[in-house]
Amino acid sequence: MTGKTARLIFWVGTLTSAAIFLWQTYDFHMQTPKFTHTDKLTAEVVAGKKVWHKYNCNDCHTILGFGGYYAPDMTKAFYRLGENNIASIVQHPDVMYKNSFRKMPQLGVNETEARQLVSFLRWVGDIENRHWPPQDEKFVQAYKLRETQPQKLDKVHLVLQACGGCHTFENQGRNVGGDLTTIANRITYDRQTLINYMINPQSVRPGVTMPPQDVSPQTAAIIADFILSLKSTKEVSK
Amino acid sequence: MMLIEYQSQRVSLWYFRLALVLFIQQVIMGLWLSINYAFTLPQDLVNVFPFSTAREIHTNVLVAWMLLGFMGGTYYILPPECGRELYSPKIAYAQLIIFVAAAVTAVIGFLFGWTRGKPLLEIPFPLNGLIVVAALLFIANVAMTIIQSKQKSALQWMLLGGVTFLAVMYLFGMPFYKNLNTDYYYWWWVIHLWVEGAWEVVTASIVAYIIMRVTGVDRKVVEKWLYVETGLFLFTGIVGTGHHYYWIGAPDYWIWWGGIFSALEPLPIVLMVVDTWMHVRERKNPIVNPLTWYYIIGLAIYHLVGAGLWGFMHTLPPINYYTHGSQVTVSHGHLAFFGAYALLNLTIFYFAMPRLKGINKYQDRLGKWGFWITTIGMFILGLVFGIAGILQTYLERFLDIGYSTAHLTMMFWFRVAFGVGLVFLAGVVITVYHLFTIKPSSIPAPEPVVTPASNI
Repeated sequence: MTGKTARLIFWVGTLTSAAIFLWQTYDFHMQTPKFTHTDKLTAEVVAGKKVWHKYNCNDCHTILGFGGYYAPDMTKAFYRLGENNIASIVQHPDVMYKNSFRKMPQLGVNETEARQLVSFLRWVGDIENRHWPPQDEKFVQAYKLRETQPQKLDKVHLVLQACGGCHTFENQGRNVGGDLTTIANRITYDRQTLINYMINPQSVRPGVTMPPQDVSPQTAAIIADFILSLKSTKEVSK
Repeated sequence: MMLIEYQSQRVSLWYFRLALVLFIQQVIMGLWLSINYAFTLPQDLVNVFPFSTAREIHTNVLVAWMLLGFMGGTYYILPPECGRELYSPKIAYAQLIIFVAAAVTAVIGFLFGWTRGKPLLEIPFPLNGLIVVAALLFIANVAMTIIQSKQKSALQWMLLGGVTFLAVMYLFGMPFYKNLNTDYYYWWWVIHLWVEGAWEVVTASIVAYIIMRVTGVDRKVVEKWLYVETGLFLFTGIVGTGHHYYWIGAPDYWIWWGGIFSALEPLPIVLMVVDTWMHVRERKNPIVNPLTWYYIIGLAIYHLVGAGLWGFMHTLPPINYYTHGSQVTVSHGHLAFFGAYALLNLTIFYFAMPRLKGINKYQDRLGKWGFWITTIGMFILGLVFGIAGILQTYLERFLDIGYSTAHLTMMFWFRVAFGVGLVFLAGVVITVYHLFTIKPSSIPAPEPVVTPASNI
């Protein structure tokens, strides 16, 4: 190989690659509105993104898989946790993670910022990114089912994917709020109280850390039936 | 015997010293991060000094010390390469002061929450301005030195091209992007096109220079390899950026282009290993300081394993679907950064620092300890992160167990990582101490056969 050939390899390789890349960049911008629904990218969402940056969330949490690896990925967090849970966690992490082995700092996020952050995460959750991360897809599916036809949901499916953001059940979910079987065997509420509890925990047990759940009374009733069924038998009927 | 040919090469000494101090600081911060993983810290401590702050220091200090090493290395090799003094040593010092002042202010600022909250690019806007000023001074100084020199070489232009590319890419990380996918699109223009583009070009040039000087192999041969290697680095690396675009909400072809081009990325590194090996075999000069050879060979092999093979496996789309954003990434990141760039910097330091002190052959017992402890230590650390990552991936992404539950299983491995990290820190401290206090050896060095400048 001569010096001239070597130089040729350098220039052809570099320029070809750069040309392909620049064309792809142009096309990326053309297609971004479709993949990220830029029509829903409101001022509130942008404000939420600024909150995300302001508290340096990204150096513990990953989002779209990038950032710190210390805390869960936030791409589909809106679907995994729901609006009220996210707002409660970011404002009172010390309370929410009182019993957790992993702590989240008390950042001093105010209510407005928490709502903006939720808007941002809601918008991020809708980015069409080939259903990544894989384990969160069930939360997205469950959320959409809950919205449209709660009565047709399989019970175990529903509970896990609605409550699994904080509770564990048969080793699934996150152990922040305790295991559902243990809870079922401990609680003394009747069906209606349990439904009220889910919708507004404070009204039943003031001072409890569980945030209000964004569920309809019908859905709450299905969940309540499921939890109460855990009490009588250890075998879960699926 | 004069060991440096030009007085202005001395400016690089301060770059190296500050880089080494920052290196130690980076490792200490890394140990603190592993403690965060391994144990449950009290809420009060987490509130004051959270993981996020420690991580931004860990990563920014990494970038800072490596850039200092590159800049110092460039200033060291430029005068002999151009056959003249640097255009302005004063500019070189001014740039160093601005750069370090910005870096120190940034780290202090992080402690008080002054951040842009964008991983690896957390430095707030005013400080970014200072970094840009420092970069412009650097490029101007390098460019003027090259333009005014009588002898022109491929290596000079490659070096200038590399540092300019590096500086231009940094600009894409500075704006605020409203759309998260666009934000990450350009974020990788800085991060990926640095480590798999601009930094590789700078590395290839510096390694080519050192190899030429150490082995006495003909310039024509070295420069030919340099062209082919750099061409391949850029050919695979530029479109290879696409392996970060699989899951950000981008068109489908990124999976193919990103997957294929990043699968090709180990090629130039293989070439670099072969190239190094051939030059070592065909060397004309006697081995004066074996330690420098350790570092050159270690750099080539570690670069291939950490960046090449680990990266190759991790970026194949079907694997990446499961391993993306897990501890596997942490494993790859540590092995690749250490293998490619920490070892490169240490190679430069071991090449240049003794010569700047007028030492031809030095005592290298301590340095060898440092070399083996750090290289083996980091390799084990990479394995430990890898085990934690495979566990995490299996539990979380295959068995669909919750994030926190999966993370609980990693606490044990992070206690191991902390232990290994302590050993690694010891190795780094030994290496830095050795470099700072390097002493001439009592055994005389064999006479070089080529040029007086090629002794080592």
